[in-house]
Amino acid sequence: MPPSKARRSGGDRALGLLARGSAVTILGLLVALLATLVTAGAPAAARFGASFLTETEWRPNTLERPRLDARGEVVITGGEVEIEEVPPRFGALPAIWGTAVSSGIALLIAVPLSLGAALFVVRIAPRLRVAGPLSFMIEFLAAIPSIAYGFWGLAVLTPWLQTVAYPAMERLAGGTWVAGWVFRTRLADGTEIPVGLTGKDMLCGGLVLAIMVIPIVTAVARDVLRSVPRGQLEGTLALGATWWQSSWGMMRYARAGLFGAVMLGLARAAGETMAVTMVIGNNMQVAASPLAPAQTMASLLANEFKEASDQLHQSALLLVALILLVMSLALNVTARSLVVGGSSRTAAAH
Amino acid sequence: MATQRLSIRRVISAGAIAGSAAASVAIVAVLAGVLWYILWRGVGAISWEFFTTDPTGDPTGDPAAPGGMRHAVLGTLALLLMASAVGVPMGILTGVYLSEYAGERWLAGPTRFVCDVLAGVPSIVVGILGYELLVVPVGGFNAYAGAAALAFIMAPIIARTTEEMLRLVPDSYRAGSLALGASKSQTIVRVVLPAAAGPTLTGVMLALARVAGETAPLLFTAGGARLISADLGQPFPSLTQQVFDYATSPFPSQREVAWAGVLVLIALLLTINLAVRLLLWRTRARAKPR
Repeated sequence: MPPSKARRSGGDRALGLLARGSAVTILGLLVALLATLVTAGAPAAARFGASFLTETEWRPNTLERPRLDARGEVVITGGEVEIEEVPPRFGALPAIWGTAVSSGIALLIAVPLSLGAALFVVRIAPRLRVAGPLSFMIEFLAAIPSIAYGFWGLAVLTPWLQTVAYPAMERLAGGTWVAGWVFRTRLADGTEIPVGLTGKDMLCGGLVLAIMVIPIVTAVARDVLRSVPRGQLEGTLALGATWWQSSWGMMRYARAGLFGAVMLGLARAAGETMAVTMVIGNNMQVAASPLAPAQTMASLLANEFKEASDQLHQSALLLVALILLVMSLALNVTARSLVVGGSSRTAAAH
Repeated sequence: MATQRLSIRRVISAGAIAGSAAASVAIVAVLAGVLWYILWRGVGAISWEFFTTDPTGDPTGDPAAPGGMRHAVLGTLALLLMASAVGVPMGILTGVYLSEYAGERWLAGPTRFVCDVLAGVPSIVVGILGYELLVVPVGGFNAYAGAAALAFIMAPIIARTTEEMLRLVPDSYRAGSLALGASKSQTIVRVVLPAAAGPTLTGVMLALARVAGETAPLLFTAGGARLISADLGQPFPSLTQQVFDYATSPFPSQREVAWAGVLVLIALLLTINLAVRLLLWRTRARAKPR
């Protein structure tokens, strides 16, 4: 029966080709992603080099200002003030700083709470028969779109910080060095500005991010703690350990996986775009105070990419995207190598 | 001495239990509060007009009656449909490849790794790729670019869940089918995939739920629009992007409509989530070999 045989092998070949083609396509997409960002970001990288990471000035437009001489005085020729043109400059440090501070605040709040809740879900909730509902709630909250959290931040958190929390903090700190540091901040060019006026700032961004990463960190930490062998837990209990001592033993045993959970949270926080864009104030500056408006790498892209008509501006933005991509890939690869086994599926779903 | 140390560590432990419980209560309270607020505002703002009318009036002027988001609801559904048309087959086929074709071949390891890693790529970066590959050459935002960006996010998730689910299908199924004279492709299509259909569908729905709420990849691809046109080569509306536009609008009337949009979005996600649970529950009830 040659015809049937031929049809069969034809079907086999077709499915094999399709399957392999799909796998290659997915691989190719990551390659295309990297290649696109590298080639498009190359002009900016060539122009600014390493200073792209350390410069604080991000100015897409050409600046016209009076030319100053060596003594800092305006140069006047023929009765006219001489004007010099300063070409656009792109330094990404403000966006990197904003990403680091807002994600840092988010982790500072989310990690202790998430670990506490994960321990509760694994060790206490089953006895109270609330593990199921609690887990469902945490997983559902991880699925709420970021735009919803951002809108809440904009509508509730921002005005509350602006009109209630910050004034109260200012009254408490009143005139101490804390107030001087938190409510006034010195920018890179030396000017001192008051901050905490709008409620849209790095602290607000960090708080919203904390709410967004808590579900994912809790869910992964829960899976990691669940995968600790029973013998480990029972062994410590048999030796007379208290609840906390045996829990501490569990966490020490699973520390790599828990660290992975935190890294996944960090990757999510650092790559989060919409919610942060709505509440961080969108201002490219490096300020020490968490109450200063800022910009993250992702929010910078969301704000400027559409309007960037200038070649160099676009190239600089794509270079920022490349930094963001490489950073998230590094975080994810590390996290995934630490979080092993059953929990990798929870991680993939988010 | 011994008893004293005992009591101190007991106290510490009790404190830790209280702390752990307090952390859970705090999380649930805050998150439930946020969710409740969002739902409450949405329920207050939703109306029949939301589903039946498009935005009205000048986008930059204060509209007394901003209209609904019919265009955006349809746009999101259309984008999800188009993204699924590409992302689902691609994901399932990749899953089939990883589970059925690749032992430890050079392609399988990297593909698996890339699928895992792609799940963590910030979605705005995916949007930028869509812009460079599918918007710049065409000269404008279009629905295809938006759908492709979403498909790019879906495919790796579906691939990994499909692979895991196919691996759970016992090898005896494959051996039986091959012994009856079926070819490899017949075995995969008629025996292995149907045996894992339920859980594979779960993976598809999870991927759908993930992209349905995405805004960032659509910003520079679909581009958003105030009306929906049958011409997919034009800027295309989506619920998330319309909500973003209205949420950041200075006009209270538009922000009000945005709350309704958020509610519809969450209702969509909750539906998908519950469907997944129902599906998993039915699959388990049939007592599959696991």
